Amino acid sequence: MAEDLVLDTAIRDWVLVPLSVVMVLIGVLRYFVSKLMRSHQAPDLKVVKEGQVILRARNLRAAAGFIPAKSFRARKIYYTNEENGLLHVPKGQAQNAQAQMFSDPNLAMDMMKKNLSMIIPQTLTFAWVNFFFSGFVAAKIPFPLTHRFRGMLQNGIDLSTVDVSYVSSRSWYFLNLFGLRGLFSLILGEENAMDDTQRMMQMSGFGFDPTKSLGAEKDSIDIIQHDWTLPKLEKRAEDVLKKLVK
Amino acid sequence: MTRLDPPQQALSSFVSSFTLFSPAEERFAGDRVRMVRAEEAARLDRLESQVENGGGGASEYLCLVGKLKARRSDKVLKHGLSILNDPKARSKLGGEEWTLYEQVAFAAMDCQQHDVAKDCIAILSKEFPGSTRVGRLEGLLLEAKGAWAEAEKAYERLLEDNPLDQLIHKRKVAIAKAQGDLSSAVNLLNKYLEIFMADHDAWRELAEIYMSLQMYKQAAFCYEELILSQPTVPPYHLAYAEASGLVLYTIGGLENLQTAKKYYASTITLTGGKNTRALYGVCLCSIAINQLTKGRNKEEKDGSNLQSLAAEALQRDYKERAPKKLPLVISMLKNMKLNS
Repeated sequence: MAEDLVLDTAIRDWVLVPLSVVMVLIGVLRYFVSKLMRSHQAPDLKVVKEGQVILRARNLRAAAGFIPAKSFRARKIYYTNEENGLLHVPKGQAQNAQAQMFSDPNLAMDMMKKNLSMIIPQTLTFAWVNFFFSGFVAAKIPFPLTHRFRGMLQNGIDLSTVDVSYVSSRSWYFLNLFGLRGLFSLILGEENAMDDTQRMMQMSGFGFDPTKSLGAEKDSIDIIQHDWTLPKLEKRAEDVLKKLVK
Repeated sequence: MTRLDPPQQALSSFVSSFTLFSPAEERFAGDRVRMVRAEEAARLDRLESQVENGGGGASEYLCLVGKLKARRSDKVLKHGLSILNDPKARSKLGGEEWTLYEQVAFAAMDCQQHDVAKDCIAILSKEFPGSTRVGRLEGLLLEAKGAWAEAEKAYERLLEDNPLDQLIHKRKVAIAKAQGDLSSAVNLLNKYLEIFMADHDAWRELAEIYMSLQMYKQAAFCYEELILSQPTVPPYHLAYAEASGLVLYTIGGLENLQTAKKYYASTITLTGGKNTRALYGVCLCSIAINQLTKGRNKEEKDGSNLQSLAAEALQRDYKERAPKKLPLVISMLKNMKLNS
Protein backbone atom coordinates (compact mmCIF):
# COMPACT_ATOMS: atom_id res chain seq x y z
CA MET A 1 0.00 0.00 0.00
CA ALA A 2 2.39 2.61 -1.17
CA GLU A 3 0.05 5.44 -2.15
CA ASP A 4 -1.85 7.27 0.58
CA LEU A 5 -5.50 6.93 1.19
CA VAL A 6 -7.29 10.20 0.78
CA LEU A 7 -9.77 10.82 3.58
CA ASP A 8 -12.89 12.71 2.70
CA THR A 9 -13.27 15.97 4.63
CA ALA A 10 -16.90 15.01 5.18
CA ILE A 11 -15.60 12.16 7.34
CA ARG A 12 -13.87 14.70 9.55
CA ASP A 13 -17.00 16.84 9.76
CA TRP A 14 -19.51 14.05 10.26
CA VAL A 15 -17.57 11.32 12.05
CA LEU A 16 -14.41 12.44 13.78
CA VAL A 17 -15.58 15.69 15.34
CA PRO A 18 -19.14 14.59 16.27
CA LEU A 19 -17.79 11.46 17.89
CA SER A 20 -15.41 13.43 20.10
CA VAL A 21 -18.01 16.04 20.98
CA VAL A 22 -20.55 13.38 21.89
CA MET A 23 -18.03 11.58 24.06
CA VAL A 24 -17.24 14.76 25.96
CA LEU A 25 -20.91 15.62 26.40
CA ILE A 26 -21.71 12.14 27.62
CA GLY A 27 -18.85 12.33 30.10
CA VAL A 28 -20.16 15.60 31.50
CA LEU A 29 -23.71 14.32 31.62
CA ARG A 30 -22.62 11.17 33.39
CA TYR A 31 -20.77 13.23 35.97
CA PHE A 32 -23.88 15.17 36.86
CA VAL A 33 -26.09 12.09 36.90
CA SER A 34 -23.74 10.26 39.23
CA LYS A 35 -23.58 13.36 41.40
CA LEU A 36 -27.34 13.27 41.70
CA MET A 37 -27.38 9.59 42.53
CA ARG A 38 -24.58 9.67 45.03
CA SER A 39 -25.93 9.03 48.47
CA HIS A 40 -24.20 10.43 51.47
CA GLN A 41 -22.48 7.64 53.28
CA ALA A 42 -22.29 8.01 57.02
CA PRO A 43 -18.97 6.74 58.32
CA ASP A 44 -19.19 3.62 60.39
CA LEU A 45 -18.05 3.84 64.00
CA LYS A 46 -16.07 0.63 63.80
CA VAL A 47 -14.27 1.64 60.63
CA VAL A 48 -13.37 5.06 62.00
CA LYS A 49 -12.10 3.54 65.21
CA GLU A 50 -10.00 0.99 63.41
CA GLY A 51 -8.46 3.66 61.24
CA GLN A 52 -7.56 5.69 64.29
CA VAL A 53 -6.11 2.69 66.10
CA ILE A 54 -3.91 1.95 63.13
CA LEU A 55 -2.75 5.54 62.96
CA ARG A 56 -1.89 5.63 66.63
CA ALA A 57 -0.12 2.28 66.46
CA ARG A 58 1.87 3.51 63.51
CA ASN A 59 2.93 6.55 65.50
CA LEU A 60 4.07 4.28 68.28
CA ARG A 61 6.09 2.22 65.86
CA ALA A 62 7.69 5.25 64.25
CA ALA A 63 8.63 7.10 67.41
CA ALA A 64 9.06 4.27 69.90
CA GLY A 65 12.52 5.50 70.84
CA PHE A 66 11.24 8.77 72.15
CA ILE A 67 9.39 7.41 75.18
CA PRO A 68 10.83 5.54 78.15
CA ALA A 69 11.01 1.76 78.01
CA LYS A 70 8.37 1.35 80.70
CA SER A 71 5.84 3.42 78.82
CA PHE A 72 6.63 1.62 75.61
CA ARG A 73 6.08 -1.78 77.18
CA ALA A 74 2.78 -0.69 78.64
CA ARG A 75 1.61 0.50 75.26
CA LYS A 76 2.82 -2.59 73.49
CA ILE A 77 0.79 -4.76 75.79
CA TYR A 78 -2.18 -2.44 75.44
CA TYR A 79 -2.10 -2.87 71.69
CA THR A 80 -1.12 -6.47 71.21
CA ASN A 81 -2.28 -8.59 74.13
CA GLU A 82 -4.27 -11.64 73.15
CA GLU A 83 -7.29 -10.95 75.30
CA ASN A 84 -8.46 -7.43 74.61
CA GLY A 85 -5.59 -5.68 72.85
CA LEU A 86 -6.67 -2.96 70.48
CA LEU A 87 -5.00 -4.55 67.51
CA HIS A 88 -5.93 -8.09 68.34
CA VAL A 89 -8.59 -9.47 66.05
CA PRO A 90 -10.36 -12.55 67.36
CA LYS A 91 -10.38 -15.30 64.73
CA GLY A 92 -13.85 -15.93 63.35
CA GLN A 93 -14.70 -12.29 63.69
CA ALA A 94 -12.85 -11.41 60.54
CA GLN A 95 -15.78 -10.64 58.35
CA ASN A 96 -15.23 -10.94 54.67
CA ALA A 97 -16.41 -8.31 52.29
CA GLN A 98 -18.95 -10.52 50.60
CA ALA A 99 -20.80 -11.22 53.80
CA GLN A 100 -20.67 -7.56 54.65
CA MET A 101 -22.28 -6.74 51.37
CA PHE A 102 -25.14 -9.09 51.98
CA SER A 103 -25.72 -7.79 55.46
CA ASP A 104 -25.81 -4.19 54.25
CA PRO A 105 -28.06 -3.71 51.24
CA ASN A 106 -27.06 -0.06 50.99
CA LEU A 107 -23.56 -1.05 50.07
CA ALA A 108 -24.77 -3.24 47.23
CA MET A 109 -27.12 -0.52 46.16
CA ASP A 110 -24.31 1.99 46.00
CA MET A 111 -22.21 -0.34 43.93
CA MET A 112 -25.07 -0.91 41.57
CA LYS A 113 -25.67 2.78 41.12
CA LYS A 114 -22.04 3.33 40.32
CA ASN A 115 -22.09 0.43 37.91
CA LEU A 116 -25.23 1.59 36.20
CA SER A 117 -23.97 5.10 35.66
CA MET A 118 -20.89 3.63 34.07
CA ILE A 119 -22.13 0.69 32.07
CA ILE A 120 -25.37 1.97 30.59
CA PRO A 121 -23.99 5.01 28.79
CA GLN A 122 -21.02 3.00 27.66
CA THR A 123 -23.08 0.28 26.04
CA LEU A 124 -25.38 2.82 24.49
CA THR A 125 -22.60 4.88 22.97
CA PHE A 126 -20.82 1.78 21.79
CA ALA A 127 -23.96 0.55 20.07
CA TRP A 128 -24.48 3.98 18.57
CA VAL A 129 -20.95 4.13 17.22
CA ASN A 130 -21.17 0.61 15.91
CA PHE A 131 -24.42 1.27 14.15
CA PHE A 132 -23.63 4.57 12.50
CA PHE A 133 -19.91 4.70 12.12
CA SER A 134 -18.69 1.18 11.64
CA GLY A 135 -16.08 0.68 9.01
CA PHE A 136 -14.95 4.27 8.61
CA VAL A 137 -11.34 5.19 8.47
CA ALA A 138 -11.70 8.32 10.50
CA ALA A 139 -8.24 9.74 10.95
CA LYS A 140 -4.57 9.30 10.26
CA ILE A 141 -1.89 9.70 12.83
CA PRO A 142 1.19 11.52 11.57
CA PHE A 143 3.76 8.82 12.37
CA PRO A 144 4.20 5.19 11.33
CA LEU A 145 3.52 2.38 13.76
CA THR A 146 4.24 -1.33 13.88
CA HIS A 147 1.67 -4.00 13.17
CA ARG A 148 1.07 -4.67 16.82
CA PHE A 149 -0.96 -1.49 17.01
CA ARG A 150 -3.42 -2.73 14.42
CA GLY A 151 -5.75 -4.14 17.06
CA MET A 152 -5.74 -0.89 18.93
CA LEU A 153 -6.12 1.55 16.05
CA GLN A 154 -8.06 -0.39 13.45
CA ASN A 155 -10.72 -2.08 15.43
CA GLY A 156 -13.56 -2.94 13.13
CA ILE A 157 -11.58 -2.95 9.89
CA ASP A 158 -10.49 -6.37 8.82
CA LEU A 159 -7.99 -5.38 6.19
CA SER A 160 -4.40 -6.32 6.78
CA THR A 161 -3.17 -4.14 3.96
CA VAL A 162 -4.20 -0.76 5.34
CA ASP A 163 -1.31 1.16 6.84
CA VAL A 164 -1.39 1.04 10.65
CA SER A 165 -1.35 4.79 11.05
CA TYR A 166 -4.98 5.02 9.91
CA VAL A 167 -7.46 5.03 12.77
CA SER A 168 -10.87 3.43 12.43
CA SER A 169 -13.94 5.10 13.88
CA ARG A 170 -14.49 2.43 16.50
CA SER A 171 -10.90 2.78 17.66
CA TRP A 172 -11.35 6.52 17.77
CA TYR A 173 -14.26 5.87 20.13
CA PHE A 174 -12.07 3.79 22.42
CA LEU A 175 -9.26 6.32 22.33
CA ASN A 176 -11.74 8.98 23.38
CA LEU A 177 -13.24 6.81 26.09
CA PHE A 178 -9.94 6.34 27.84
CA GLY A 179 -8.10 9.45 26.76
CA LEU A 180 -10.43 12.26 27.73
CA ARG A 181 -9.51 12.28 31.38
CA GLY A 182 -7.32 15.34 31.10
CA LEU A 183 -10.07 17.24 29.38
CA PHE A 184 -12.60 16.26 32.04
CA SER A 185 -10.32 17.41 34.80
CA LEU A 186 -10.13 20.74 32.99
CA ILE A 187 -13.88 21.05 32.55
CA LEU A 188 -15.13 19.58 35.79
CA GLY A 189 -12.30 20.50 38.12
CA GLU A 190 -9.33 18.47 39.24
CA GLU A 191 -11.03 16.05 41.60
CA ASN A 192 -14.24 15.64 39.70
CA ALA A 193 -12.70 14.06 36.67
CA MET A 194 -14.50 10.92 35.72
CA ASP A 195 -11.92 8.29 35.50
CA ASP A 196 -13.14 4.99 34.26
CA THR A 197 -9.87 3.21 34.66
CA GLN A 198 -9.55 4.34 38.25
CA ARG A 199 -13.09 3.28 38.95
CA MET A 200 -12.36 -0.17 37.67
CA MET A 201 -9.40 -0.37 40.00
CA GLN A 202 -11.61 0.65 42.89
CA MET A 203 -14.11 -2.00 42.07
CA SER A 204 -11.55 -4.73 42.01
CA GLY A 205 -10.09 -3.47 45.27
CA PHE A 206 -13.46 -3.51 46.94
CA GLY A 207 -12.70 -6.54 49.01
CA PHE A 208 -10.30 -4.53 51.17
CA ASP A 209 -10.32 -5.86 54.68
CA PRO A 210 -9.47 -3.55 57.59
CA THR A 211 -8.92 -6.43 59.95
CA LYS A 212 -5.98 -7.49 57.83
CA SER A 213 -4.22 -4.17 58.32
CA LEU A 214 -4.90 -4.43 62.05
CA GLY A 215 -3.20 -7.79 62.07
CA ALA A 216 -0.26 -6.50 60.06
CA GLU A 217 0.19 -3.58 62.42
CA LYS A 218 0.07 -5.92 65.37
CA ASP A 219 2.80 -8.09 63.90
CA SER A 220 5.07 -5.16 63.22
CA ILE A 221 4.61 -3.81 66.75
CA ASP A 222 5.36 -7.25 68.10
CA ILE A 223 8.75 -7.35 66.49
CA ILE A 224 10.13 -3.86 67.13
CA GLN A 225 12.83 -3.50 69.73
CA HIS A 226 12.70 -0.55 72.02
CA ASP A 227 15.77 1.64 71.77
CA TRP A 228 15.57 4.75 73.88
CA THR A 229 17.00 7.71 72.01
CA LEU A 230 16.89 10.06 74.98
CA PRO A 231 20.37 9.23 76.36
CA LYS A 232 21.73 10.04 72.93
CA LEU A 233 19.82 13.29 72.89
CA GLU A 234 21.18 14.09 76.35
CA LYS A 235 24.72 13.67 75.09
CA ARG A 236 23.92 15.82 72.15
CA ALA A 237 22.51 18.47 74.47
CA GLU A 238 25.92 18.65 76.07
CA ASP A 239 27.54 19.34 72.72
CA VAL A 240 24.92 21.94 71.92
CA LEU A 241 25.53 23.74 75.18
CA LYS A 242 29.29 23.54 74.81
CA LYS A 243 29.00 25.20 71.46
CA LEU A 244 26.70 27.82 72.90
CA VAL A 245 28.88 28.64 75.87
CA LYS A 246 32.06 28.92 73.87
CA MET B 1 -10.14 13.42 58.85
CA THR B 2 -12.02 10.52 60.20
CA ARG B 3 -10.50 7.93 57.99
CA LEU B 4 -6.99 7.11 57.06
CA ASP B 5 -6.70 9.53 54.20
CA PRO B 6 -3.53 9.95 52.19
CA PRO B 7 -2.25 13.18 53.81
CA GLN B 8 -2.30 11.53 57.19
CA GLN B 9 -0.49 8.53 55.84
CA ALA B 10 2.04 10.82 54.29
CA LEU B 11 2.42 12.59 57.59
CA SER B 12 3.06 9.45 59.54
CA SER B 13 5.58 8.23 57.03
CA PHE B 14 7.14 11.67 57.22
CA VAL B 15 7.53 11.27 60.95
CA SER B 16 9.07 7.87 60.58
CA SER B 17 11.54 9.19 58.09
CA PHE B 18 12.40 11.98 60.45
CA THR B 19 14.51 9.84 62.69
CA LEU B 20 16.77 9.04 59.79
CA PHE B 21 17.78 12.65 59.38
CA SER B 22 21.00 13.96 60.75
CA PRO B 23 20.58 16.85 63.20
CA ALA B 24 21.57 19.39 60.61
CA GLU B 25 18.90 18.18 58.23
CA GLU B 26 16.40 18.10 61.04
CA ARG B 27 17.03 21.71 61.76
CA PHE B 28 16.86 22.46 58.07
CA ALA B 29 13.43 20.86 57.68
CA GLY B 30 12.16 22.75 60.71
CA ASP B 31 13.58 25.96 59.36
CA ARG B 32 11.86 25.50 56.06
CA VAL B 33 8.48 25.06 57.68
CA ARG B 34 9.12 28.08 59.85
CA MET B 35 10.25 30.09 56.87
CA VAL B 36 7.10 29.37 54.91
CA ARG B 37 5.02 30.29 57.91
CA ALA B 38 6.92 33.49 58.50
CA GLU B 39 6.59 34.39 54.85
CA GLU B 40 2.83 33.95 54.90
CA ALA B 41 2.50 35.85 58.16
CA ALA B 42 4.50 38.71 56.67
CA ARG B 43 2.24 38.68 53.65
CA LEU B 44 -0.75 38.80 55.95
CA ASP B 45 0.62 41.84 57.75
CA ARG B 46 1.38 43.53 54.48
CA LEU B 47 -2.11 42.89 53.18
CA GLU B 48 -3.60 44.06 56.44
CA SER B 49 -1.90 47.42 56.31
CA GLN B 50 -2.83 47.73 52.66
CA VAL B 51 -6.47 47.02 53.41
CA GLU B 52 -6.46 49.31 56.42
CA ASN B 53 -5.24 52.16 54.27
CA GLY B 54 -7.98 51.59 51.75
CA GLY B 55 -5.76 49.94 49.15
CA GLY B 56 -8.20 47.16 48.31
CA GLY B 57 -7.56 43.42 48.36
CA ALA B 58 -9.91 42.89 51.29
CA SER B 59 -11.26 39.58 50.06
CA GLU B 60 -7.75 38.29 49.49
CA TYR B 61 -6.84 39.32 53.01
CA LEU B 62 -9.86 37.54 54.47
CA CYS B 63 -8.98 34.44 52.50
CA LEU B 64 -5.47 34.43 53.89
CA VAL B 65 -6.69 34.98 57.44
CA GLY B 66 -8.96 31.98 57.03
CA LYS B 67 -6.15 29.89 55.61
CA LEU B 68 -3.66 30.75 58.34
CA LYS B 69 -6.35 30.48 61.01
CA ALA B 70 -5.19 33.81 62.36
CA ARG B 71 -7.34 35.38 65.03
CA ARG B 72 -7.88 38.94 63.89
CA SER B 73 -11.55 39.04 64.53
CA ASP B 74 -12.01 42.82 64.66
CA LYS B 75 -10.39 43.31 61.25
CA VAL B 76 -12.24 40.35 59.74
CA LEU B 77 -15.51 41.67 61.07
CA LYS B 78 -14.90 45.15 59.71
CA HIS B 79 -13.77 44.23 56.22
CA GLY B 80 -15.97 41.16 55.90
CA LEU B 81 -19.06 43.18 56.68
CA SER B 82 -18.09 45.90 54.24
CA ILE B 83 -17.87 43.26 51.50
CA LEU B 84 -21.09 41.53 52.49
CA ASN B 85 -23.02 44.78 52.64
CA ASP B 86 -21.94 45.72 49.14
CA PRO B 87 -23.99 43.65 46.67
CA LYS B 88 -21.52 44.16 43.85
CA ALA B 89 -18.53 42.96 45.84
CA ARG B 90 -20.56 40.11 47.23
CA SER B 91 -21.59 38.76 43.86
CA LYS B 92 -17.97 38.83 42.79
CA LEU B 93 -17.17 36.24 45.42
CA GLY B 94 -19.35 33.57 43.86
CA GLY B 95 -19.35 30.41 45.94
CA GLU B 96 -16.95 31.93 48.43
CA GLU B 97 -19.76 34.13 49.67
CA TRP B 98 -21.04 31.54 52.12
CA THR B 99 -17.58 30.86 53.50
CA LEU B 100 -17.26 34.56 54.12
CA TYR B 101 -20.59 34.63 55.95
CA GLU B 102 -19.32 31.86 58.16
CA GLN B 103 -16.02 33.61 58.77
CA VAL B 104 -17.73 36.87 59.65
CA ALA B 105 -20.12 35.02 61.97
CA PHE B 106 -17.15 33.54 63.85
CA ALA B 107 -15.45 36.92 64.03
CA ALA B 108 -18.62 38.62 65.24
CA MET B 109 -19.02 36.08 68.02
CA ASP B 110 -15.42 36.65 69.01
CA CYS B 111 -16.12 40.40 69.20
CA GLN B 112 -19.30 39.88 71.21
CA GLN B 113 -21.47 41.29 68.41
CA HIS B 114 -24.17 38.70 68.69
CA ASP B 115 -26.63 40.52 66.44
CA VAL B 116 -24.28 40.50 63.47
CA ALA B 117 -23.52 36.83 64.04
CA LYS B 118 -27.21 36.08 64.29
CA ASP B 119 -27.90 37.78 60.95
CA CYS B 120 -25.10 35.87 59.23
CA ILE B 121 -26.29 32.57 60.64
CA ALA B 122 -29.87 33.32 59.63
CA ILE B 123 -28.76 33.91 56.04
CA LEU B 124 -26.71 30.73 56.06
CA SER B 125 -29.48 28.58 57.48
CA LYS B 126 -31.83 29.93 54.84
CA GLU B 127 -29.37 28.90 52.16
CA PHE B 128 -28.46 25.52 53.66
CA PRO B 129 -31.42 24.25 55.66
CA GLY B 130 -30.63 21.32 57.89
CA SER B 131 -26.88 21.62 57.50
CA THR B 132 -24.73 20.41 60.36
CA ARG B 133 -22.18 23.11 59.76
CA VAL B 134 -24.77 25.82 60.21
CA GLY B 135 -26.16 23.96 63.20
CA ARG B 136 -22.73 24.11 64.77
CA LEU B 137 -22.67 27.86 64.24
CA GLU B 138 -26.04 28.18 65.96
CA GLY B 139 -24.74 26.18 68.90
CA LEU B 140 -21.68 28.37 68.99
CA LEU B 141 -23.83 31.49 69.15
CA LEU B 142 -25.69 30.06 72.12
CA GLU B 143 -22.34 29.36 73.72
CA ALA B 144 -21.15 32.88 73.05
CA LYS B 145 -24.23 34.19 74.82
CA GLY B 146 -23.47 31.93 77.74
CA ALA B 147 -26.58 29.81 77.35
CA TRP B 148 -24.75 26.60 78.16
CA ALA B 149 -27.71 24.31 78.67
CA GLU B 150 -29.34 25.37 75.41
CA ALA B 151 -26.09 25.07 73.50
CA GLU B 152 -25.61 21.59 74.86
CA LYS B 153 -29.12 20.65 73.82
CA ALA B 154 -28.46 21.96 70.32
CA TYR B 155 -25.29 19.90 70.07
CA GLU B 156 -27.07 16.80 71.32
CA ARG B 157 -29.61 17.21 68.54
CA LEU B 158 -26.85 17.51 65.97
CA LEU B 159 -25.10 14.45 67.35
CA GLU B 160 -28.21 12.38 66.86
CA ASP B 161 -27.90 12.87 63.12
CA ASN B 162 -24.20 12.24 62.85
CA PRO B 163 -22.70 10.87 66.01
CA LEU B 164 -19.17 10.98 64.63
CA ASP B 165 -18.82 14.73 64.25
CA GLN B 166 -15.50 15.51 65.89
CA LEU B 167 -16.06 19.24 66.13
CA ILE B 168 -19.31 18.88 68.03
CA HIS B 169 -17.72 16.53 70.52
CA LYS B 170 -14.98 19.06 71.04
CA ARG B 171 -17.49 21.85 71.54
CA LYS B 172 -19.12 19.82 74.28
CA VAL B 173 -15.77 19.52 76.02
CA ALA B 174 -15.34 23.26 75.63
CA ILE B 175 -18.71 23.89 77.25
CA ALA B 176 -17.79 21.72 80.21
CA LYS B 177 -14.48 23.53 80.53
CA ALA B 178 -16.07 26.96 80.23
CA GLN B 179 -18.39 26.12 83.07
CA GLY B 180 -15.41 25.14 85.18
CA ASP B 181 -16.50 21.53 85.32
CA LEU B 182 -13.10 20.04 84.65
CA SER B 183 -13.87 16.50 85.73
CA SER B 184 -16.73 16.18 83.25
CA ALA B 185 -14.50 17.74 80.60
CA VAL B 186 -11.98 15.00 81.33
CA ASN B 187 -14.70 12.37 81.06
CA LEU B 188 -15.91 13.72 77.76
CA LEU B 189 -12.40 13.93 76.39
CA ASN B 190 -11.67 10.38 77.45
CA LYS B 191 -14.78 9.17 75.72
CA TYR B 192 -13.84 11.13 72.62
CA LEU B 193 -10.31 9.77 72.60
CA GLU B 194 -11.59 6.24 72.87
CA ILE B 195 -12.87 6.65 69.33
CA PHE B 196 -10.59 9.30 67.81
CA MET B 197 -7.43 8.19 69.47
CA ALA B 198 -5.11 9.70 66.89
CA ASP B 199 -6.31 13.25 67.46
CA HIS B 200 -3.32 14.89 69.06
CA ASP B 201 -5.07 18.20 69.72
CA ALA B 202 -7.47 16.36 71.99
CA TRP B 203 -4.54 14.66 73.73
CA ARG B 204 -2.95 18.02 74.33
CA GLU B 205 -6.13 19.46 75.76
CA LEU B 206 -6.49 16.47 78.06
CA ALA B 207 -2.87 16.78 79.15
CA GLU B 208 -3.31 20.41 80.04
CA ILE B 209 -6.48 19.74 82.00
CA TYR B 210 -4.74 16.94 83.91
CA MET B 211 -1.87 19.29 84.69
CA SER B 212 -4.26 21.84 86.11
CA LEU B 213 -5.96 19.12 88.15
CA GLN B 214 -2.51 18.09 89.42
CA MET B 215 -2.94 14.59 88.05
CA TYR B 216 0.62 14.47 86.80
CA LYS B 217 0.83 10.78 86.08
CA GLN B 218 -2.10 10.95 83.72
CA ALA B 219 -0.75 14.13 82.18
CA ALA B 220 2.58 12.42 81.61
CA PHE B 221 0.80 9.65 79.73
CA CYS B 222 -0.89 12.18 77.48
CA TYR B 223 2.40 13.92 76.80
CA GLU B 224 3.95 10.58 75.89
CA GLU B 225 1.18 10.17 73.38
CA LEU B 226 1.92 13.63 71.99
CA ILE B 227 5.63 12.90 71.73
CA LEU B 228 4.77 9.74 69.85
CA SER B 229 2.70 11.58 67.32
CA GLN B 230 5.16 14.46 66.86
CA PRO B 231 8.52 13.37 68.19
CA THR B 232 10.46 16.49 67.34
CA VAL B 233 8.27 19.18 68.85
CA PRO B 234 10.25 20.64 71.77
CA PRO B 235 7.31 21.93 73.87
CA TYR B 236 6.02 18.40 74.27
CA HIS B 237 9.39 17.23 75.54
CA LEU B 238 9.49 20.14 77.96
CA ALA B 239 5.97 19.52 79.19
CA TYR B 240 6.64 15.81 79.57
CA ALA B 241 9.77 16.58 81.59
CA GLU B 242 7.74 18.83 83.85
CA ALA B 243 4.95 16.32 84.26
CA SER B 244 7.29 13.45 85.06
CA GLY B 245 9.29 15.71 87.38
CA LEU B 246 6.12 16.61 89.23
CA VAL B 247 5.11 12.98 89.54
CA LEU B 248 7.99 12.84 91.99
CA TYR B 249 6.07 14.86 94.54
CA THR B 250 3.15 12.52 94.46
CA ILE B 251 4.75 9.10 94.26
CA GLY B 252 8.45 9.84 94.39
CA GLY B 253 11.25 8.02 92.73
CA LEU B 254 14.68 8.64 91.38
CA GLU B 255 13.75 7.18 88.05
CA ASN B 256 11.19 9.86 87.33
CA LEU B 257 13.73 12.56 88.07
CA GLN B 258 16.24 11.05 85.74
CA THR B 259 13.60 10.76 83.06
CA ALA B 260 12.67 14.37 83.59
CA LYS B 261 16.29 15.43 83.29
CA LYS B 262 16.65 13.49 80.06
CA TYR B 263 13.64 15.17 78.55
CA TYR B 264 14.83 18.60 79.64
CA ALA B 265 18.10 17.73 77.93
CA SER B 266 16.31 16.67 74.76
CA THR B 267 14.43 19.96 74.80
CA ILE B 268 17.78 21.71 74.93
CA THR B 269 18.93 19.70 71.95
CA LEU B 270 15.82 20.36 69.95
CA THR B 271 15.79 24.09 70.64
CA GLY B 272 19.53 24.58 70.36
CA GLY B 273 19.84 25.58 74.03
CA LYS B 274 17.56 28.58 73.67
CA ASN B 275 14.88 27.47 76.10
CA THR B 276 15.43 29.02 79.53
CA ARG B 277 12.93 26.78 81.21
CA ALA B 278 14.71 23.67 80.02
CA LEU B 279 18.03 25.03 81.27
CA TYR B 280 16.58 25.65 84.72
CA GLY B 281 14.96 22.24 84.59
CA VAL B 282 18.27 20.50 84.00
CA CYS B 283 19.84 22.38 86.90
CA LEU B 284 17.04 21.60 89.34
CA CYS B 285 16.80 17.97 88.34
CA SER B 286 20.47 17.34 88.72
CA ILE B 287 20.47 18.91 92.18
CA ALA B 288 17.57 16.74 93.23
CA ILE B 289 19.26 13.68 91.79
CA ASN B 290 22.46 14.53 93.62
CA GLN B 291 20.59 14.82 96.88
CA LEU B 292 18.87 11.51 96.40
CA THR B 293 22.00 9.66 95.40
CA LYS B 294 24.15 11.23 98.12
CA GLY B 295 26.14 8.59 99.86
CA ARG B 296 25.34 5.97 97.33
CA ASN B 297 27.80 4.52 94.92
CA LYS B 298 29.48 7.19 92.91
CA GLU B 299 29.17 5.54 89.56
CA GLU B 300 25.51 6.42 89.46
CA LYS B 301 26.62 9.98 89.05
CA ASP B 302 27.39 9.77 85.41
CA GLY B 303 30.32 11.94 84.57
CA SER B 304 28.27 14.41 82.62
CA ASN B 305 28.75 18.05 83.26
CA LEU B 306 25.46 18.96 81.69
CA GLN B 307 24.25 20.91 84.70
CA SER B 308 27.30 23.15 84.91
CA LEU B 309 27.07 23.77 81.20
CA ALA B 310 23.40 24.60 81.57
CA ALA B 311 24.20 26.98 84.43
CA GLU B 312 26.80 28.68 82.30
CA ALA B 313 24.38 28.97 79.40
CA LEU B 314 21.81 30.48 81.76
CA GLN B 315 24.27 33.11 82.95
CA ARG B 316 25.18 34.02 79.42
CA ASP B 317 21.55 34.26 78.48
CA TYR B 318 20.78 36.58 81.37
CA LYS B 319 23.85 38.67 80.65
CA GLU B 320 22.59 39.31 77.15
CA ARG B 321 18.94 39.79 77.71
CA ALA B 322 18.39 40.85 81.34
CA PRO B 323 21.69 42.10 82.81
CA LYS B 324 19.94 43.54 85.85
CA LYS B 325 18.88 40.13 87.05
CA LEU B 326 22.25 38.52 86.49
CA PRO B 327 23.45 38.87 90.12
CA LEU B 328 20.29 37.18 91.33
CA VAL B 329 20.86 34.24 89.01
CA ILE B 330 24.50 33.95 89.98
CA SER B 331 23.74 33.90 93.67
CA MET B 332 21.00 31.37 93.17
CA LEU B 333 23.21 29.09 91.17
CA LYS B 334 25.87 29.46 93.87
CA ASN B 335 23.37 28.32 96.43
CA MET B 336 22.75 25.30 94.31
CA LYS B 337 26.50 24.73 94.17
CA LEU B 338 26.36 24.47 90.47
CA ASN B 339 28.43 27.50 89.73
CA SER B 340 31.68 25.66 89.61
